[in-house]
Amino acid sequence: MKQFAEWLSTTSPSVFIQNHNSWIIPAIQSIHIVGIAMVIGSVFMIDLRVLGWAGMDQTLRQTINRFGPWLTGALCLLLATGILMVIGEPARELVTFSFWLKMFLVAVGTAIAAIFQATLRKHDKQWEDGLARSRTVKGLAIVTFLVWVCIIVLGRLIAYDHVWGSWSPATKA
Amino acid sequence: MDIAWFLKSLEASGIAARIRDSLYLFPLIESTHVLGLALVFGTIAIIDLRLLGIASTERSFRRMASDILKWTWAAFALTALTGALMFITNAGVYYHNFFFRTKMLLLAVAGINMLFFELTAGRTIHRWDQAPSAPRTGKAVAVLSLALWIGIIFMGRIIGFTTTRAATATPPPTSVDFDDFLNPTQQSK
Repeated sequence: MKQFAEWLSTTSPSVFIQNHNSWIIPAIQSIHIVGIAMVIGSVFMIDLRVLGWAGMDQTLRQTINRFGPWLTGALCLLLATGILMVIGEPARELVTFSFWLKMFLVAVGTAIAAIFQATLRKHDKQWEDGLARSRTVKGLAIVTFLVWVCIIVLGRLIAYDHVWGSWSPATKA
Repeated sequence: MDIAWFLKSLEASGIAARIRDSLYLFPLIESTHVLGLALVFGTIAIIDLRLLGIASTERSFRRMASDILKWTWAAFALTALTGALMFITNAGVYYHNFFFRTKMLLLAVAGINMLFFELTAGRTIHRWDQAPSAPRTGKAVAVLSLALWIGIIFMGRIIGFTTTRAATATPPPTSVDFDDFLNPTQQSK
């Protein structure tokens, strides 16, 4: 991974970002944060609806139709800006424990969202009628929210990978 | 009161010292700040998009506002608290930072914008509550709100690039040599 990061840092897009980093990096990071806000906002509203704490004037189906596309769109925006940040600062991103744990959780969070939306669209009658009131599903809603919370925290910890001590590959220079 | 003295005493406070001396507290506080602001902006954007008639157009505005805004305020409290904790660790530097000041100014404008909404379109909600979008003043407030918050996020992020963090803790044992190899001129946060 270190060799890959070193190679990536010599490519021309990477060099371009490095040479303009005083504004490009914070600008990309800000767009990334806007995307994060869209994701956590959407996940939050869907989870609150599942828990019965908000949006009870809407069916689950309506809630998914409202927030699902924004969630997908924001995830695409995050992927694009995330790739740009990796290209701009390969070692800072790739040679960290936080980054890889975050990527794992992003895969988990995205899979949960995709499976939930697909099963709800297929069996929305069962979901509306009772499944959403089951304790397991409510527990899953809380877990899903916490997965995204961890993703946000880990994203910021990429800049502070030393908090992981010997787990951080950056400490084994 | 003398502002320089006030900033100094904030920095000298026990909590500020405690945060500076810990390897973990500042990163955790900053992460919580990002989480809080993502929830603030995420939920505000949902309301603004409703005002603009872009999303949730079939729902009662009042119903949405009462569902969502309490969470926005809770998240805002968390963000303000964590922001204040970061500020006191290095109060003098942040206070004089251009982007910090701009951020505070934009926050104040966002507050006035909200107040303006309450005094204008907010007074006639009963007339457009079920309509797909708000009257023109409400839409203008929504556009301004989205622009202000995106500006606030950018100002907040760039503060980290234009200030040095106060740290009395031992410098983190990162791969400094490797970073230097890649980016001899900067160490981004």
